[in-house]
Amino acid sequence: MITQEEIRKIAKLAKLYVSEEEIGSLTEDMARIIAFADTINAAADTQEPFDSIQSLQNALREDVVRPSYPQEEILRNVNGGEDGYFRTKQSREG
Amino acid sequence: MAVQGKIAALRGRMLRREVSCEEITRAYLDAIEKKNGALNAYVLTTPDTALHTARAVDAKIARGETLAPLEGIPMTLKDNISTKGIETTCCSRILKGYSPIYNASVWEKLAGQNAVLLGKTNMDEFAMGSTCETSCFGGANNPYDLDRVAGGSSGGVASAVGGGMAAYGLGSDTGGSVRQPASFCGLVGLKPTYGAVSRYGLIAYASSFDQIGPITVTAADAAAVCDAICFYDEQDSTSVPRRYEPAAGALEQDLRGVRIGVAKEFMQAVQPAVLKAVEEAIAVYRSLGAEIVELSLSTLSIALPVYYILACAEASSNLGRYDGIRYGYQAGTAGNLNECICRTRSEGFGPEVQRRILLGTYVLSAGYFDAYYKKAQTLRGAVVRSFDEAFAKCDFLLAPTAPVTAFRHGRAAANPIETYQSDICTVPVNIAGLPALSLPCGFDPDGMPIGLQLIGRAFDEKTLLAAAHRFEQATDGAYLCREVLA
Repeated sequence: MITQEEIRKIAKLAKLYVSEEEIGSLTEDMARIIAFADTINAAADTQEPFDSIQSLQNALREDVVRPSYPQEEILRNVNGGEDGYFRTKQSREG
Repeated sequence: MAVQGKIAALRGRMLRREVSCEEITRAYLDAIEKKNGALNAYVLTTPDTALHTARAVDAKIARGETLAPLEGIPMTLKDNISTKGIETTCCSRILKGYSPIYNASVWEKLAGQNAVLLGKTNMDEFAMGSTCETSCFGGANNPYDLDRVAGGSSGGVASAVGGGMAAYGLGSDTGGSVRQPASFCGLVGLKPTYGAVSRYGLIAYASSFDQIGPITVTAADAAAVCDAICFYDEQDSTSVPRRYEPAAGALEQDLRGVRIGVAKEFMQAVQPAVLKAVEEAIAVYRSLGAEIVELSLSTLSIALPVYYILACAEASSNLGRYDGIRYGYQAGTAGNLNECICRTRSEGFGPEVQRRILLGTYVLSAGYFDAYYKKAQTLRGAVVRSFDEAFAKCDFLLAPTAPVTAFRHGRAAANPIETYQSDICTVPVNIAGLPALSLPCGFDPDGMPIGLQLIGRAFDEKTLLAAAHRFEQATDGAYLCREVLA
Protein backbone atom coordinates (compact mmCIF):
# COMPACT_ATOMS: atom_id res chain seq x y z
CA MET A 1 0.00 0.00 0.00
CA ILE A 2 1.46 3.33 -1.04
CA THR A 3 2.15 5.76 1.80
CA GLN A 4 1.73 9.54 2.06
CA GLU A 5 5.52 9.79 2.24
CA GLU A 6 5.91 7.95 -1.09
CA ILE A 7 3.31 10.20 -2.72
CA ARG A 8 5.23 13.25 -1.52
CA LYS A 9 8.43 11.83 -3.02
CA ILE A 10 6.78 11.06 -6.38
CA ALA A 11 5.14 14.51 -6.44
CA LYS A 12 8.53 16.11 -5.88
CA LEU A 13 9.97 14.17 -8.84
CA ALA A 14 7.01 15.30 -10.97
CA LYS A 15 7.38 18.91 -9.79
CA LEU A 16 3.93 19.05 -8.26
CA TYR A 17 3.00 20.48 -4.86
CA VAL A 18 0.65 18.44 -2.73
CA SER A 19 -0.97 20.39 0.07
CA GLU A 20 -1.64 18.95 3.54
CA GLU A 21 -5.38 19.06 2.84
CA GLU A 22 -5.00 17.03 -0.37
CA ILE A 23 -2.47 14.41 0.70
CA GLY A 24 -4.96 12.09 2.42
CA SER A 25 -7.48 11.80 -0.41
CA LEU A 26 -4.76 11.80 -3.08
CA THR A 27 -2.99 8.88 -1.39
CA GLU A 28 -6.29 6.96 -1.30
CA ASP A 29 -6.92 7.70 -5.00
CA MET A 30 -3.40 6.68 -5.94
CA ALA A 31 -3.62 3.50 -3.88
CA ARG A 32 -6.72 2.47 -5.85
CA ILE A 33 -5.11 3.38 -9.18
CA ILE A 34 -1.90 1.50 -8.33
CA ALA A 35 -3.95 -1.54 -7.22
CA PHE A 36 -5.55 -1.39 -10.68
CA ALA A 37 -2.10 -1.21 -12.32
CA ASP A 38 -1.06 -4.21 -10.19
CA THR A 39 -3.57 -6.39 -12.04
CA ILE A 40 -0.94 -6.86 -14.78
CA ASN A 41 0.81 -9.17 -12.35
CA ALA A 42 -1.95 -11.69 -13.01
CA ALA A 43 -0.60 -12.06 -16.55
CA ALA A 44 2.09 -14.60 -17.26
CA ASP A 45 5.49 -13.13 -18.07
CA THR A 46 6.35 -13.24 -21.70
CA GLN A 47 10.00 -13.14 -22.60
CA GLU A 48 9.56 -11.69 -26.06
CA PRO A 49 10.52 -8.02 -26.06
CA PHE A 50 8.41 -5.39 -27.75
CA ASP A 51 10.09 -2.43 -29.33
CA SER A 52 7.89 -0.82 -31.95
CA ILE A 53 4.32 -0.40 -33.12
CA GLN A 54 3.58 -1.46 -36.68
CA SER A 55 7.29 -2.21 -37.18
CA LEU A 56 8.09 1.46 -37.61
CA GLN A 57 11.57 2.25 -38.85
CA ASN A 58 13.68 5.10 -37.57
CA ALA A 59 13.20 8.16 -39.77
CA LEU A 60 16.66 9.31 -40.72
CA ARG A 61 17.59 12.13 -43.08
CA GLU A 62 20.51 14.32 -44.01
CA ASP A 63 21.18 17.14 -41.57
CA VAL A 64 20.19 20.10 -43.75
CA VAL A 65 20.28 23.65 -42.43
CA ARG A 66 16.85 25.27 -42.67
CA PRO A 67 15.43 28.54 -41.44
CA SER A 68 14.02 28.36 -37.90
CA TYR A 69 11.05 30.23 -36.46
CA PRO A 70 11.76 33.93 -35.91
CA GLN A 71 12.75 34.79 -32.35
CA GLU A 72 10.05 37.43 -32.02
CA GLU A 73 7.35 34.89 -32.93
CA ILE A 74 8.63 32.40 -30.37
CA LEU A 75 8.69 35.13 -27.71
CA ARG A 76 5.17 36.30 -28.53
CA ASN A 77 3.72 33.88 -25.96
CA VAL A 78 5.61 35.66 -23.18
CA ASN A 79 4.67 39.20 -24.25
CA GLY A 80 7.82 39.57 -26.31
CA GLY A 81 10.26 38.42 -23.62
CA GLU A 82 13.12 40.66 -22.54
CA ASP A 83 16.00 41.63 -24.84
CA GLY A 84 15.33 38.57 -26.98
CA TYR A 85 15.28 36.15 -24.01
CA PHE A 86 12.77 34.34 -21.85
CA ARG A 87 12.70 35.77 -18.37
CA THR A 88 12.76 33.30 -15.47
CA LYS A 89 13.09 33.39 -11.70
CA GLN A 90 16.47 32.94 -10.10
CA SER A 91 17.35 29.29 -9.84
CA ARG A 92 19.03 29.79 -6.45
CA GLU A 93 18.47 32.17 -3.58
CA GLY A 94 20.98 34.92 -2.87
CA MET B 1 -32.32 4.22 -49.18
CA ALA B 2 -29.04 5.51 -50.51
CA VAL B 3 -27.36 7.27 -47.61
CA GLN B 4 -25.53 10.33 -48.81
CA GLY B 5 -22.78 11.95 -46.80
CA LYS B 6 -23.23 15.34 -45.18
CA ILE B 7 -20.07 16.64 -46.86
CA ALA B 8 -21.15 15.48 -50.34
CA ALA B 9 -24.59 17.05 -49.81
CA LEU B 10 -23.16 20.46 -48.86
CA ARG B 11 -20.62 20.31 -51.66
CA GLY B 12 -23.34 19.44 -54.21
CA ARG B 13 -25.52 22.36 -53.13
CA MET B 14 -22.59 24.77 -53.38
CA LEU B 15 -21.49 23.52 -56.81
CA ARG B 16 -25.06 23.69 -58.15
CA ARG B 17 -25.11 27.24 -56.75
CA GLU B 18 -28.27 26.58 -54.73
CA VAL B 19 -26.55 28.16 -51.78
CA SER B 20 -23.27 30.00 -51.29
CA CYS B 21 -20.47 28.90 -49.02
CA GLU B 22 -20.97 32.11 -47.05
CA GLU B 23 -24.66 31.27 -46.50
CA ILE B 24 -23.79 27.76 -45.33
CA THR B 25 -21.12 29.13 -43.02
CA ARG B 26 -23.49 31.75 -41.59
CA ALA B 27 -26.08 29.04 -40.95
CA TYR B 28 -23.51 27.07 -38.93
CA LEU B 29 -22.41 30.18 -37.05
CA ASP B 30 -26.09 30.89 -36.24
CA ALA B 31 -26.51 27.31 -35.00
CA ILE B 32 -23.48 27.77 -32.73
CA GLU B 33 -24.93 31.05 -31.44
CA LYS B 34 -28.22 29.31 -30.65
CA LYS B 35 -27.09 25.94 -29.34
CA ASN B 36 -23.62 26.23 -27.89
CA GLY B 37 -24.88 27.67 -24.62
CA ALA B 38 -26.64 24.36 -23.95
CA LEU B 39 -24.09 21.99 -25.52
CA ASN B 40 -20.79 23.69 -24.53
CA ALA B 41 -19.13 22.07 -27.54
CA TYR B 42 -17.04 25.07 -28.62
CA VAL B 43 -14.50 26.70 -26.34
CA LEU B 44 -13.57 29.27 -29.01
CA THR B 45 -15.27 30.35 -32.22
CA THR B 46 -13.52 31.89 -35.23
CA PRO B 47 -16.34 33.57 -37.23
CA ASP B 48 -14.10 36.12 -38.99
CA THR B 49 -11.67 33.51 -40.30
CA ALA B 50 -14.59 31.27 -41.27
CA LEU B 51 -16.40 33.98 -43.28
CA HIS B 52 -13.17 35.15 -44.89
CA THR B 53 -12.47 31.61 -46.12
CA ALA B 54 -16.10 31.15 -47.22
CA ARG B 55 -15.94 34.26 -49.40
CA ALA B 56 -12.74 33.01 -51.02
CA VAL B 57 -14.52 29.74 -51.83
CA ASP B 58 -17.52 31.61 -53.27
CA ALA B 59 -15.15 33.61 -55.48
CA LYS B 60 -13.64 30.36 -56.79
CA ILE B 61 -17.11 28.95 -57.52
CA ALA B 62 -18.06 32.17 -59.32
CA ARG B 63 -14.94 31.83 -61.48
CA GLY B 64 -15.96 28.26 -62.30
CA GLU B 65 -12.88 26.74 -60.68
CA THR B 66 -12.92 23.20 -59.36
CA LEU B 67 -13.06 22.67 -55.60
CA ALA B 68 -10.95 20.28 -53.51
CA PRO B 69 -13.07 17.56 -51.82
CA LEU B 70 -13.37 19.37 -48.45
CA GLU B 71 -13.18 22.89 -49.80
CA GLY B 72 -15.72 25.25 -48.25
CA ILE B 73 -17.07 22.66 -45.80
CA PRO B 74 -17.52 24.15 -42.29
CA MET B 75 -15.70 22.09 -39.67
CA THR B 76 -14.06 22.14 -36.27
CA LEU B 77 -10.84 21.04 -34.58
CA LYS B 78 -10.33 19.60 -31.12
CA ASP B 79 -8.49 22.10 -28.95
CA ASN B 80 -5.27 20.04 -28.87
CA ILE B 81 -4.65 20.50 -32.62
CA SER B 82 -2.37 23.50 -33.11
CA THR B 83 -3.76 26.42 -35.09
CA LYS B 84 -1.36 29.25 -35.87
CA GLY B 85 -2.41 32.47 -34.15
CA ILE B 86 -5.56 30.85 -32.71
CA GLU B 87 -5.55 29.98 -29.02
CA THR B 88 -4.97 26.25 -28.41
CA THR B 89 -5.38 25.21 -24.78
CA CYS B 90 -6.02 21.44 -24.53
CA CYS B 91 -8.78 22.74 -22.24
CA SER B 92 -6.17 23.13 -19.53
CA ARG B 93 -5.61 26.17 -17.36
CA ILE B 94 -1.86 25.70 -17.91
CA LEU B 95 -2.21 26.57 -21.63
CA LYS B 96 -4.73 29.39 -21.36
CA GLY B 97 -3.65 32.22 -23.61
CA TYR B 98 -1.22 30.02 -25.59
CA SER B 99 -1.23 30.85 -29.27
CA PRO B 100 0.77 28.41 -31.45
CA ILE B 101 3.24 29.85 -33.93
CA TYR B 102 2.67 27.02 -36.42
CA ASN B 103 -0.18 24.90 -37.73
CA ALA B 104 -0.55 21.19 -37.11
CA SER B 105 0.18 19.41 -40.40
CA VAL B 106 -3.41 18.17 -40.73
CA TRP B 107 -4.74 21.70 -40.31
CA GLU B 108 -2.09 23.12 -42.66
CA LYS B 109 -3.35 20.65 -45.29
CA LEU B 110 -7.06 21.35 -44.73
CA ALA B 111 -6.57 25.12 -44.49
CA GLY B 112 -4.69 24.88 -47.79
CA GLN B 113 -7.89 23.59 -49.39
CA ASN B 114 -10.08 26.24 -47.77
CA ALA B 115 -11.70 24.13 -45.07
CA VAL B 116 -13.90 26.56 -43.12
CA LEU B 117 -12.78 26.49 -39.48
CA LEU B 118 -15.71 27.43 -37.22
CA GLY B 119 -13.75 27.18 -33.97
CA LYS B 120 -12.00 24.94 -31.47
CA THR B 121 -13.86 22.33 -29.50
CA ASN B 122 -14.01 21.10 -25.94
CA MET B 123 -12.11 18.08 -24.62
CA ASP B 124 -10.97 16.41 -21.46
CA GLU B 125 -7.92 18.26 -20.16
CA PHE B 126 -4.94 17.05 -22.26
CA ALA B 127 -7.29 14.35 -23.63
CA MET B 128 -7.22 12.55 -20.26
CA GLY B 129 -10.74 11.34 -19.66
CA SER B 130 -13.76 9.58 -21.11
CA THR B 131 -16.45 12.17 -20.43
CA CYS B 132 -15.05 15.58 -21.43
CA GLU B 133 -15.70 16.61 -17.82
CA THR B 134 -12.05 17.18 -16.90
CA SER B 135 -12.04 20.20 -19.26
CA CYS B 136 -11.22 23.49 -17.50
CA PHE B 137 -14.22 24.92 -19.40
CA GLY B 138 -16.66 22.31 -18.03
CA GLY B 139 -17.81 19.32 -20.10
CA ALA B 140 -19.65 19.20 -23.43
CA ASN B 141 -23.22 17.90 -23.37
CA ASN B 142 -24.81 15.18 -25.44
CA PRO B 143 -27.11 16.42 -28.24
CA TYR B 144 -29.42 13.42 -27.61
CA ASP B 145 -29.83 14.28 -23.91
CA LEU B 146 -28.31 17.37 -22.29
CA ASP B 147 -28.17 15.59 -18.91
CA ARG B 148 -25.62 13.18 -20.32
CA VAL B 149 -22.00 13.57 -21.38
CA ALA B 150 -20.93 13.77 -25.02
CA GLY B 151 -18.14 11.31 -24.21
CA GLY B 152 -14.45 11.87 -24.26
CA SER B 153 -12.00 12.96 -24.69
CA SER B 154 -13.07 14.50 -28.04
CA GLY B 155 -16.52 15.26 -26.59
CA GLY B 156 -16.65 18.77 -28.02
CA VAL B 157 -16.19 17.59 -31.61
CA ALA B 158 -18.95 14.98 -31.19
CA SER B 159 -21.28 17.46 -29.52
CA ALA B 160 -20.65 20.02 -32.29
CA VAL B 161 -21.19 17.57 -35.18
CA GLY B 162 -24.15 15.82 -33.52
CA GLY B 163 -25.65 19.19 -32.58
CA GLY B 164 -25.51 20.44 -36.18
CA MET B 165 -22.79 22.99 -35.34
CA ALA B 166 -20.16 21.61 -37.78
CA ALA B 167 -20.28 19.26 -40.77
CA TYR B 168 -17.34 17.27 -39.41
CA GLY B 169 -14.46 17.63 -37.00
CA LEU B 170 -11.03 16.28 -36.21
CA GLY B 171 -10.36 14.79 -32.80
CA SER B 172 -7.58 12.64 -31.38
CA ASP B 173 -7.75 9.06 -30.13
CA THR B 174 -5.25 7.78 -27.55
CA GLY B 175 -7.43 5.11 -25.93
CA GLY B 176 -10.78 5.62 -27.66
CA SER B 177 -11.18 9.39 -27.61
CA VAL B 178 -12.57 9.63 -31.15
CA ARG B 179 -14.59 6.39 -31.23
CA GLN B 180 -16.28 6.60 -27.82
CA PRO B 181 -17.73 10.14 -28.18
CA ALA B 182 -18.82 9.24 -31.72
CA SER B 183 -20.59 6.21 -30.23
CA PHE B 184 -22.22 8.27 -27.45
CA CYS B 185 -23.50 10.90 -29.92
CA GLY B 186 -24.67 8.62 -32.77
CA LEU B 187 -21.84 9.53 -35.16
CA VAL B 188 -19.06 7.87 -37.13
CA GLY B 189 -15.58 8.10 -35.59
CA LEU B 190 -12.43 6.81 -37.26
CA LYS B 191 -9.14 6.15 -35.51
CA PRO B 192 -6.62 5.61 -38.33
CA THR B 193 -3.60 3.30 -38.10
CA TYR B 194 -0.67 4.54 -36.01
CA GLY B 195 1.55 6.28 -38.56
CA ALA B 196 -1.23 6.95 -41.12
CA VAL B 197 -1.92 10.55 -40.10
CA SER B 198 0.73 13.10 -39.13
CA ARG B 199 0.65 14.15 -35.48
CA TYR B 200 2.91 17.17 -36.05
CA GLY B 201 1.23 19.94 -34.07
CA LEU B 202 -1.03 17.60 -32.11
CA ILE B 203 -0.22 18.43 -28.50
CA ALA B 204 1.12 15.16 -27.09
CA TYR B 205 -0.52 13.06 -24.40
CA ALA B 206 0.93 9.55 -24.95
CA SER B 207 3.03 9.57 -28.10
CA SER B 208 3.05 5.83 -28.81
CA PHE B 209 -0.78 5.78 -28.80
CA ASP B 210 -2.00 9.23 -30.00
CA GLN B 211 -3.66 9.41 -33.41
CA ILE B 212 -5.76 12.12 -35.12
CA GLY B 213 -9.08 11.03 -36.62
CA PRO B 214 -12.38 12.41 -37.93
CA ILE B 215 -15.83 12.45 -36.32
CA THR B 216 -18.50 12.65 -39.02
CA VAL B 217 -22.18 11.99 -39.70
CA THR B 218 -21.75 9.06 -42.12
CA ALA B 219 -19.08 6.60 -43.23
CA ALA B 220 -18.85 8.35 -46.63
CA ASP B 221 -17.99 11.58 -44.79
CA ALA B 222 -15.33 9.77 -42.77
CA ALA B 223 -13.85 8.37 -45.99
CA ALA B 224 -13.66 11.85 -47.52
CA VAL B 225 -11.86 13.26 -44.47
CA CYS B 226 -9.61 10.19 -44.16
CA ASP B 227 -8.49 10.65 -47.78
CA ALA B 228 -7.61 14.28 -47.04
CA ILE B 229 -5.61 13.73 -43.85
CA CYS B 230 -3.67 10.55 -44.68
CA PHE B 231 -0.38 11.73 -46.16
CA TYR B 232 3.30 11.28 -45.42
CA ASP B 233 4.82 14.07 -43.34
CA GLU B 234 8.52 14.17 -42.60
CA GLN B 235 7.81 16.47 -39.64
CA ASP B 236 6.36 13.47 -37.77
CA SER B 237 9.00 10.77 -37.45
CA THR B 238 6.29 8.11 -37.01
CA SER B 239 4.55 9.06 -40.29
CA VAL B 240 4.76 6.09 -42.66
CA PRO B 241 5.59 6.69 -46.34
CA ARG B 242 3.37 4.46 -48.49
CA ARG B 243 1.12 4.38 -51.52
CA TYR B 244 -2.28 5.53 -50.31
CA GLU B 245 -5.43 4.01 -51.80
CA PRO B 246 -8.34 6.47 -51.49
CA ALA B 247 -11.32 5.20 -49.51
CA ALA B 248 -13.99 7.55 -50.86
CA GLY B 249 -14.32 5.86 -54.24
CA ALA B 250 -14.18 2.32 -52.84
CA LEU B 251 -17.19 2.26 -50.51
CA GLU B 252 -19.43 -0.05 -52.55
CA GLN B 253 -17.49 -3.24 -51.84
CA ASP B 254 -19.22 -6.58 -51.89
CA LEU B 255 -19.17 -8.21 -48.46
CA ARG B 256 -19.90 -11.74 -49.73
CA GLY B 257 -17.22 -14.07 -48.44
CA VAL B 258 -15.66 -11.44 -46.20
CA ARG B 259 -14.75 -12.95 -42.81
CA ILE B 260 -15.72 -10.89 -39.77
CA GLY B 261 -14.19 -11.94 -36.46
CA VAL B 262 -16.17 -11.68 -33.23
CA ALA B 263 -14.11 -12.15 -30.05
CA LYS B 264 -16.15 -13.30 -27.08
CA GLU B 265 -14.00 -11.24 -24.69
CA PHE B 266 -15.33 -8.01 -26.26
CA MET B 267 -18.91 -9.08 -25.57
CA GLN B 268 -18.50 -9.57 -21.84
CA ALA B 269 -19.72 -7.08 -19.23
CA VAL B 270 -21.64 -5.21 -21.90
CA GLN B 271 -25.04 -3.60 -21.18
CA PRO B 272 -27.92 -5.78 -22.49
CA ALA B 273 -29.12 -3.12 -24.96
CA VAL B 274 -25.60 -2.75 -26.35
CA LEU B 275 -25.21 -6.52 -26.69
CA LYS B 276 -28.57 -6.79 -28.47
CA ALA B 277 -27.72 -4.01 -30.95
CA VAL B 278 -24.32 -5.54 -31.72
CA GLU B 279 -25.89 -8.98 -32.26
CA GLU B 280 -28.43 -7.41 -34.62
CA ALA B 281 -25.57 -5.76 -36.50
CA ILE B 282 -23.89 -9.15 -36.84
CA ALA B 283 -27.14 -10.46 -38.38
CA VAL B 284 -27.12 -7.55 -40.86
CA TYR B 285 -23.58 -8.43 -41.95
CA ARG B 286 -24.58 -12.10 -42.27
CA SER B 287 -27.46 -11.07 -44.52
CA LEU B 288 -24.97 -9.14 -46.68
CA GLY B 289 -23.06 -12.37 -47.24
CA ALA B 290 -20.27 -11.99 -44.69
CA GLU B 291 -19.03 -15.01 -42.79
CA ILE B 292 -18.92 -14.60 -39.00
CA VAL B 293 -15.89 -16.20 -37.34
CA GLU B 294 -16.00 -16.67 -33.58
CA LEU B 295 -12.62 -16.33 -31.97
CA SER B 296 -10.83 -15.44 -28.77
CA LEU B 297 -8.55 -12.52 -27.84
CA SER B 298 -7.34 -13.71 -24.46
CA THR B 299 -5.02 -10.75 -23.88
CA LEU B 300 -7.92 -8.28 -23.63
CA SER B 301 -8.09 -8.79 -19.86
CA ILE B 302 -4.68 -7.15 -19.39
CA ALA B 303 -5.16 -4.39 -21.97
CA LEU B 304 -6.50 -1.74 -19.60
CA PRO B 305 -3.78 -1.78 -16.94
CA VAL B 306 -1.13 -2.08 -19.68
CA TYR B 307 -2.59 0.98 -21.37
CA TYR B 308 -2.84 3.08 -18.23
CA ILE B 309 0.70 2.25 -17.13
CA LEU B 310 2.27 3.04 -20.51
CA ALA B 311 0.07 6.04 -21.38
CA CYS B 312 0.63 7.66 -17.99
CA ALA B 313 4.38 7.01 -18.17
CA GLU B 314 4.49 8.76 -21.53
CA ALA B 315 2.26 11.56 -20.25
CA SER B 316 4.50 12.22 -17.25
CA SER B 317 7.37 12.68 -19.67
CA ASN B 318 5.46 14.66 -22.32
CA LEU B 319 3.91 17.02 -19.78
CA GLY B 320 7.30 17.75 -18.23
CA ARG B 321 7.60 20.65 -20.70
CA TYR B 322 4.96 22.76 -18.93
CA ASP B 323 7.03 24.95 -16.66
CA GLY B 324 5.32 28.32 -17.17
CA ILE B 325 8.46 29.88 -18.62
CA ARG B 326 7.94 29.87 -22.39
CA TYR B 327 4.15 29.92 -22.85
CA GLY B 328 0.88 29.50 -21.06
CA TYR B 329 0.04 30.00 -17.43
CA GLN B 330 2.64 31.09 -14.88
CA ALA B 331 1.89 31.18 -11.17
CA GLY B 332 2.40 34.62 -9.73
CA THR B 333 4.52 33.56 -6.82
CA ALA B 334 7.57 34.56 -4.87
CA GLY B 335 10.44 32.13 -4.52
CA ASN B 336 13.02 30.59 -6.78
CA LEU B 337 12.71 28.94 -10.18
CA ASN B 338 11.90 25.47 -8.86
CA GLU B 339 9.14 26.79 -6.60
CA CYS B 340 7.67 28.76 -9.49
CA ILE B 341 7.62 25.68 -11.74
CA CYS B 342 6.00 23.53 -9.02
CA ARG B 343 3.35 26.18 -8.27
CA THR B 344 2.63 26.72 -11.98
CA ARG B 345 2.11 23.00 -12.54
CA SER B 346 0.03 22.45 -9.39
CA GLU B 347 -2.24 25.40 -10.16
CA GLY B 348 -2.26 24.85 -13.92
CA PHE B 349 -3.04 21.10 -14.15
CA GLY B 350 -6.40 19.72 -13.00
CA PRO B 351 -6.75 16.73 -10.63
CA GLU B 352 -7.03 13.96 -13.28
CA VAL B 353 -3.94 15.20 -15.13
CA GLN B 354 -2.03 15.35 -11.85
CA ARG B 355 -3.11 11.81 -10.95
CA ARG B 356 -1.91 10.49 -14.31
CA ILE B 357 1.41 12.36 -14.08
CA LEU B 358 1.89 10.89 -10.59
CA LEU B 359 1.08 7.35 -11.75
CA GLY B 360 3.44 7.78 -14.70
CA THR B 361 6.23 9.12 -12.50
CA TYR B 362 5.66 6.24 -10.07
CA VAL B 363 5.90 3.47 -12.70
CA LEU B 364 9.04 5.03 -14.17
CA SER B 365 10.78 5.60 -10.83
CA ALA B 366 13.71 3.56 -9.55
CA GLY B 367 12.55 0.36 -7.90
CA TYR B 368 9.22 0.20 -9.78
CA PHE B 369 10.32 0.48 -13.41
CA ASP B 370 10.73 -3.28 -14.00
CA ALA B 371 7.55 -4.30 -12.21
CA TYR B 372 5.32 -1.83 -14.04
CA TYR B 373 6.72 -0.08 -17.10
CA LYS B 374 8.94 -2.87 -18.39
CA LYS B 375 6.36 -5.57 -17.71
CA ALA B 376 3.60 -3.54 -19.37
CA GLN B 377 5.80 -2.98 -22.41
CA THR B 378 6.37 -6.74 -22.75
CA LEU B 379 2.65 -7.39 -22.37
CA ARG B 380 2.01 -4.82 -25.08
CA GLY B 381 3.81 -7.19 -27.42
CA ALA B 382 1.50 -10.01 -26.31
CA VAL B 383 -1.58 -7.91 -27.16
CA VAL B 384 -0.14 -7.09 -30.59
CA ARG B 385 0.52 -10.79 -31.28
CA SER B 386 -2.98 -11.82 -30.26
CA PHE B 387 -4.42 -9.36 -32.81
CA ASP B 388 -2.04 -10.79 -35.45
CA GLU B 389 -3.38 -14.26 -34.67
CA ALA B 390 -6.97 -13.03 -34.95
CA PHE B 391 -6.34 -11.45 -38.35
CA ALA B 392 -5.05 -14.77 -39.64
CA LYS B 393 -8.65 -15.99 -39.24
CA CYS B 394 -10.66 -12.95 -40.34
CA ASP B 395 -10.56 -9.78 -42.47
CA PHE B 396 -11.69 -7.45 -39.71
CA LEU B 397 -13.07 -7.64 -36.18
CA LEU B 398 -16.44 -6.50 -34.94
CA ALA B 399 -17.11 -5.41 -31.32
CA PRO B 400 -19.05 -2.86 -29.31
CA THR B 401 -17.34 0.56 -29.17
CA ALA B 402 -18.20 0.97 -25.49
CA PRO B 403 -19.91 -1.42 -23.06
CA VAL B 404 -22.36 1.35 -22.15
CA THR B 405 -24.23 4.29 -23.66
CA ALA B 406 -23.54 7.91 -22.64
CA PHE B 407 -23.10 8.41 -18.88
CA ARG B 408 -25.06 10.92 -16.88
CA HIS B 409 -22.99 13.88 -15.70
CA GLY B 410 -20.77 13.54 -12.65
CA ARG B 411 -20.26 9.78 -12.73
CA ALA B 412 -16.57 9.90 -13.66
CA ALA B 413 -15.55 12.05 -10.72
CA ALA B 414 -17.27 9.62 -8.34
CA ASN B 415 -15.29 6.61 -9.51
CA PRO B 416 -12.20 7.09 -11.70
CA ILE B 417 -11.40 3.35 -11.97
CA GLU B 418 -14.93 2.47 -13.11
CA THR B 419 -14.61 5.14 -15.79
CA TYR B 420 -11.22 3.76 -16.91
CA GLN B 421 -12.92 0.37 -17.30
CA SER B 422 -15.45 1.76 -19.77
CA ASP B 423 -12.55 2.08 -22.23
CA ILE B 424 -12.10 -1.72 -22.38
CA CYS B 425 -13.29 -2.11 -25.98
CA THR B 426 -11.30 0.77 -27.48
CA VAL B 427 -7.95 0.70 -25.64
CA PRO B 428 -6.65 -2.63 -27.10
CA VAL B 429 -6.75 -1.10 -30.59
CA ASN B 430 -4.40 1.74 -29.59
CA ILE B 431 -2.07 -0.72 -27.87
CA ALA B 432 -1.65 -2.48 -31.22
CA GLY B 433 -1.71 0.73 -33.33
CA LEU B 434 -4.55 -0.63 -35.50
CA PRO B 435 -7.27 1.29 -37.37
CA ALA B 436 -10.82 1.14 -35.97
CA LEU B 437 -14.10 2.84 -36.63
CA SER B 438 -17.25 3.38 -34.61
CA LEU B 439 -20.62 3.65 -36.35
CA PRO B 440 -24.14 3.99 -34.95
CA CYS B 441 -25.96 0.64 -34.76
CA GLY B 442 -28.93 1.14 -32.43
CA PHE B 443 -30.49 2.89 -29.47
CA ASP B 444 -30.92 1.87 -25.83
CA PRO B 445 -34.37 2.00 -24.13
CA ASP B 446 -33.74 5.68 -23.25
CA GLY B 447 -33.12 6.48 -26.93
CA MET B 448 -29.36 6.93 -26.49
CA PRO B 449 -27.16 5.86 -29.44
CA ILE B 450 -25.12 2.65 -29.41
CA GLY B 451 -21.82 2.32 -31.30
CA LEU B 452 -20.53 -0.63 -33.31
CA GLN B 453 -16.77 -0.93 -33.61
CA LEU B 454 -14.95 -2.38 -36.62
CA ILE B 455 -11.23 -3.07 -36.13
CA GLY B 456 -8.98 -3.63 -39.13
CA ARG B 457 -5.52 -4.69 -40.17
CA ALA B 458 -2.85 -2.00 -40.16
CA PHE B 459 -3.46 0.61 -42.89
CA ASP B 460 -6.71 -1.05 -43.99
CA GLU B 461 -9.04 1.87 -43.17
CA LYS B 462 -10.63 1.35 -46.58
CA THR B 463 -12.18 -2.02 -45.68
CA LEU B 464 -13.64 -0.62 -42.45
CA LEU B 465 -15.12 2.44 -44.15
CA ALA B 466 -16.67 0.31 -46.90
CA ALA B 467 -18.12 -2.15 -44.35
CA ALA B 468 -19.58 0.75 -42.34
CA HIS B 469 -21.04 2.27 -45.49
CA ARG B 470 -22.66 -1.03 -46.46
CA PHE B 471 -24.22 -1.30 -43.00
CA GLU B 472 -25.68 2.21 -43.31
CA GLN B 473 -27.17 1.34 -46.70
CA ALA B 474 -28.57 -2.00 -45.52
CA THR B 475 -30.24 -0.38 -42.51
CA ASP B 476 -31.57 2.64 -44.47
CA GLY B 477 -29.51 4.98 -42.32
CA ALA B 478 -31.89 4.21 -39.43
CA TYR B 479 -29.33 4.83 -36.70
CA LEU B 480 -27.63 7.88 -38.19
CA CYS B 481 -28.01 11.35 -36.75
CA ARG B 482 -30.95 12.07 -39.08
CA GLU B 483 -31.73 15.58 -37.94
CA VAL B 484 -28.19 16.63 -38.82
CA LEU B 485 -28.09 14.67 -42.06
CA ALA B 486 -31.28 16.25 -43.41
